[in-house]
Amino acid sequence: MNPERGVLLGETVVLDDVGPARRGRAYPAIGTTTALLPPGAPRPGGLVHWPVRRTGDASATADGEFVGLEHFRTALSDDGWSVLGRTLLWAMVVPAVVTVLGFVLAAASRRSSSGRIVTLILVAPIALPLVVTGVTFRLLYDPDPERGTATWLTGALWLGPELITIALMSAFVWAWVGLAVLVFRAAFDALPLALADAVRAYGGTRLDVFRDARWRPLLRRTVAIVFALVALATSRTFDLILVMAPGSVIDEAMVAPVRIWQTSSGTVTGPSAALGVLWLAVVLLGMLAAALWTRQAWPPPTPIAPARGTGSEWRAPRLVRRLLPPAAAIWWAIPLVVLVATSLHAPRDAATRGWWTGPIGLASYRALFEGGGLARSLALTAALAAVVTGTVLVVALLAAYALAWLSPPGAQAAGILLLGAAVVPVQVIAGPVTEVLDRAGLAGTFVGLALVHVALGVPFAVLVLRNALADVPMARVRQARLAGRREWSVLARLAPATVPAVVAVCVLEFVQVWNDFVVGLHFGGPDAVPLGLALYGQTRQFVSNSGLVAAGSVVASVLPLALVIAFRRQVVGGLVSGAQK
Amino acid sequence: MIKRRTLLRAAAAASAATAATTGCTRGGGALEVAVVWSGGELARFRDVVRGYPEPVRVISAGDNIDALLRARDRAGARPDVAILPRPGLVAGYARDGWLEPLDSELGERYAPAWTELITVDGVLYGAWVKAAHKSLFWHLPSVLTDPPGSWSDLLAMVESRAAGGGPAPLAIGAADGWVLTDWLENLLASFDDQRLYQDLAAGKPLWDASQVRGALAALARMWSVPGAFPGGGRRALLTQNEESVIQVVASRDACTVFEGDFVAGVARQFQDEAPRTFRFPAFAGRQPLVVGGDAAVVLRGSAGGRDLVRWLAGSDAFRPWIASGGYLSPNRLVPLGFYPAGQPRDLAAEVREPVDGLRFDLSDQLPGSFTGFDGQGVWKILQDFFAAVTTPRADLRSAVDDTVAQLNATAKKATA
Repeated sequence: MNPERGVLLGETVVLDDVGPARRGRAYPAIGTTTALLPPGAPRPGGLVHWPVRRTGDASATADGEFVGLEHFRTALSDDGWSVLGRTLLWAMVVPAVVTVLGFVLAAASRRSSSGRIVTLILVAPIALPLVVTGVTFRLLYDPDPERGTATWLTGALWLGPELITIALMSAFVWAWVGLAVLVFRAAFDALPLALADAVRAYGGTRLDVFRDARWRPLLRRTVAIVFALVALATSRTFDLILVMAPGSVIDEAMVAPVRIWQTSSGTVTGPSAALGVLWLAVVLLGMLAAALWTRQAWPPPTPIAPARGTGSEWRAPRLVRRLLPPAAAIWWAIPLVVLVATSLHAPRDAATRGWWTGPIGLASYRALFEGGGLARSLALTAALAAVVTGTVLVVALLAAYALAWLSPPGAQAAGILLLGAAVVPVQVIAGPVTEVLDRAGLAGTFVGLALVHVALGVPFAVLVLRNALADVPMARVRQARLAGRREWSVLARLAPATVPAVVAVCVLEFVQVWNDFVVGLHFGGPDAVPLGLALYGQTRQFVSNSGLVAAGSVVASVLPLALVIAFRRQVVGGLVSGAQK
Repeated sequence: MIKRRTLLRAAAAASAATAATTGCTRGGGALEVAVVWSGGELARFRDVVRGYPEPVRVISAGDNIDALLRARDRAGARPDVAILPRPGLVAGYARDGWLEPLDSELGERYAPAWTELITVDGVLYGAWVKAAHKSLFWHLPSVLTDPPGSWSDLLAMVESRAAGGGPAPLAIGAADGWVLTDWLENLLASFDDQRLYQDLAAGKPLWDASQVRGALAALARMWSVPGAFPGGGRRALLTQNEESVIQVVASRDACTVFEGDFVAGVARQFQDEAPRTFRFPAFAGRQPLVVGGDAAVVLRGSAGGRDLVRWLAGSDAFRPWIASGGYLSPNRLVPLGFYPAGQPRDLAAEVREPVDGLRFDLSDQLPGSFTGFDGQGVWKILQDFFAAVTTPRADLRSAVDDTVAQLNATAKKATA
């Protein structure tokens, strides 16, 4: 679940910052750096980097003996190649669809009369836990036409072996298009208008204007960033597959993360490690390609105040602007309506009739809270998210400051290690991490879960905060340095300048932990059942539980939805600054 | 490794997993019991241990009790007692030296066939605390008035009802692979030759035996009847067990559904008419009885675990659970009078004294990766078989051949 940490714009920052620190070389302070970095180091080190090495070792050894490619052969025998192929298909097709849809919708809804509400509806799915998205689409695709709206409309068995991957992909696209819309919006606002006028003045056609004044300076890069971001995030299909695919078709939907989880069952096995290594290699190659591609871009435009309403402003044709956004909003709202309507039916009605019929009531919600199990999961998840967010913030702020302004000798290496840690999928390192937690006696405990979340959250947070700190104007840093005697007080003086980034990191980290399923599934235990795991438990017999599952999904979605909507300006503002550079 | 019955047990909502942490916190000296139950069953078991004079903490391991015990073992925090759903686990742990031996006197509380399953090298390592009866068809008396008494009657009923245009004759939760293995097991348990059943359960690649072929061919014949399932075979492969129960007791899309005594718990939430049962009809010589069960074991080094297990194996311990329904005991000390007269009492009497040999759930005994999970092992093989025979104009013979070959190949791989 690592790569998708940037639920919003974070990954764009990540991609942007593989290089050495660009500023602050004037103040080398190795001693302080070594004091500030360590709090951040052991966690990603012990819980990400070492496990990756352990997985690498396990893929080529059996009981300590080197076995060459044997595990790779086992992993790829039977349907191994098709699993890997399907994983790649996800990483190519889904990002392409999300990018195109996001581009079109962003262009169409830009400055349109209904723009704000449309954006809100498109962005809402980003905030939902992916388990909830899975629940929503399984309701929509229920094979019984009396319950499943999509089945009723099309007559197709969407969850059957032929269409299951398309059904899963549609759910994923639904959840991620909002993000692409936001990024493209920000990019459109930053387009250098003068450039378009210049191209036109030299007699350029509309195509020339698009190519030379829009595509090449900025949009090509944004497209690459969105594509890479979504491609990386497709490892999250794990949540969707486990919730949406009935047992009989799970093989037809199988991708690498699910296969690794299935064949390792929480330990380190050769073939699952081999599959993990192959997958990780593909991820890293993809990231490298994306980084190179985005680096070739036009030199970053200097910040331009977004000009409004000028003649050369780029707008979509009027008809498209009028019709497309409301149509998209309605289409995007349907799954949410289905979910909420199902939750408002009593368990028996939800299981036996359509969401649009029958009496409305709160019986499913009442049943949900009977026994207090869900209440305990809610409390545990809230505590976990709060503790993890606080820890990540403190650890990351110290390390980010060191990387941004103290320019330690290993800054570049540290940046690459951080980037690496931020893209490793959880499933690849789950076995070794379990070994570490076992040895510490923390497997299946609150503390164990918190440690894993912190380890996974820190790299991303460091990259975002480092970026924000590096953006603080030089004069202000000098002032702080003059006023503060120690690095701690300098950092304290600089902190206010990074408030948007800090808010962004806090909101994203909190939502990330709250929405988590993978970490809970791999590292939870009887005494620590986070919300995602509790919801998943309900979905095991789906139809008979659909009322409870829907009610639980609504309850789980309220807080992340409210947070993302309330803080969307800060979140976008804190992170977009990085995306634009 | 993931237990099929646990999947059923996950039914009851959020409490499924989280209820695990309710009740007593581990005070000084509280005994710890790890169980696979969750939801309603977990709550019932908590009611049971409330009757024990000392505090007992129940932890629900959810799907994978083996993983929990291994993790606890590595962390040096073994529970005192574990209740295991598979006799294979009892034997495995006993050989690894994880378990305290129990007094052989305890074994006399069960029929010899039950005791034998948890006896390793002549030493008893467990005590059965719960049984499941897995040879029942469920139907609403108003929909199906005369239940079939033999396999050929059942086939005739399926064919006539499928052609009749009313509700389909059978509901089946083929999306859950264990439902299909339970079908096959009942046919295999119907043969007089108990040896073959035991050998197959042990993982021997004997699936090309004529009896197995005959059983698969009979299943193919019945499942391939057009209109046998509501919405057809492809729809049935997307139907889970609990939904198949709903198709019979609530939406009445089907006349009957086969599964164990635990169906009653699901039906109760959705029925407006109480369903009745008839026995899985004899396919070969004898009427099949396939059972499942949970055995309590004492982890090595536990001080109070032995007394707790002895108490659980007493006559009164599970009385609260018997009273609230959905529980059968394999224990001969439990008076049959504790059960409500009628079906529960009959089923209890049947499972605790199996006539001529005990057929314990076969797929639960299969070794390694052969035992099923979603998309794996015997579950997947039988789902592929189901898909093949329910295709229109399917070649049933080659479907049987393919399945036999698959089963044998997987058995060889799992025991290699």
